[in-house]
Amino acid sequence: MLDARGTAEISRAEVIRHETRIPSEVWADQRQQVESPWDRHRRYDAPRAELRDFRPEPAGLPATSPEDAARHVKEHRDERPWLTAVDKACPEASRIIASADAGDGHAHIRHEGWVTEERLMRRAAYLEDPAQLDPVKRANGIDGLSVNDRRHFCADMATRIADPDAFATAFARGIEHPKVRAAIDRPFDPEARAEISIPIADILGTDGYKYCTGWQLESVAGDQDAARANRKSWALAKAADRQPEVPEPRTSPVPTFEGGTISYVVSPKQSADGYEVKSMYPNPRDEGAR
Amino acid sequence: MTAFYYWEQHPDGPFATLINVATSYCHPETDYDAYDALKRRAKRESDPEMDVFKSELRAAIQDPSQLPGNELSRNVQYDDGSPEAFLRRLWRDLYGDEPVEA
Repeated sequence: MLDARGTAEISRAEVIRHETRIPSEVWADQRQQVESPWDRHRRYDAPRAELRDFRPEPAGLPATSPEDAARHVKEHRDERPWLTAVDKACPEASRIIASADAGDGHAHIRHEGWVTEERLMRRAAYLEDPAQLDPVKRANGIDGLSVNDRRHFCADMATRIADPDAFATAFARGIEHPKVRAAIDRPFDPEARAEISIPIADILGTDGYKYCTGWQLESVAGDQDAARANRKSWALAKAADRQPEVPEPRTSPVPTFEGGTISYVVSPKQSADGYEVKSMYPNPRDEGAR
Repeated sequence: MTAFYYWEQHPDGPFATLINVATSYCHPETDYDAYDALKRRAKRESDPEMDVFKSELRAAIQDPSQLPGNELSRNVQYDDGSPEAFLRRLWRDLYGDEPVEA
């Protein structure tokens, strides 16, 4: 068996001794690895020189030097645990993730590798928000980023770019893409919104899909509308400590992101003086696309 | 062309504006203020895109079978249980008691 970097032989006993994941996390990782091309030890070869040139300001984010980024992570990592993503990132990607954290967006909070496979699966299945740090509220489906304990809401798929360097590359390149730039640079309208998709291959290269993972809510008798409605009903019943009247939602890994896209969600900044990318997440290929 | 959204795949397709606007303001990944922003846009006196949206919303409510496949569901990701329920909610929230029939 190889070590985490894939360079040295280690014994099974050593693997167990160094295992920090709980059994349910191991199960979710294993299932994802068996059913998709993802390998949790594979690292993305980041274009570090390109990432070094990333400028946060055109992305609607505050200027962030490498020193600013290191300070931000050091000061906030306890209350913003998604910043632990930088522990596995190259310095250039760390700066981009810290820059994103200084903005209003949630891409790095719900769609980056700090969200484990288990958390991703539970978001798609039970509407548990990985951004919610209170475990009781998370189990009760309370959103972690909104005010007033609003209920969390999720598409029938929860996805992430699992590698922090790949995530930072997708963020930096996406913001420079002409389609996303057009949405960010248009005249400011506080009510305007835009969702744009760009092929994963254009952003992360032909193997970029291997760094994306996701869990798909299984349909009810072939009906995704019914699956989402049942999931909502199930989660509401559980939160109210009632017996659900619908079956427990089921999910399965997205088989592959090959031929897929990355969505960029552009919305006004809270400061109401421009736009920023509020969310970014991968989608598998739309099989219905012609 | 590799694109995820219906209106990117079919910019001139039926109900492209309805699905685009509904996705941009109602999808779970958009910001928390987006639905209220859509309500404010619906009240504007001059907003050509919203005029098309309203017209397509009206047509979709009157005959949901005209919607392209499952594109409304796939793009918007509503949890109302059916396109009809989602469209009716949208109309009620944006246009109140105004009759759907023009």
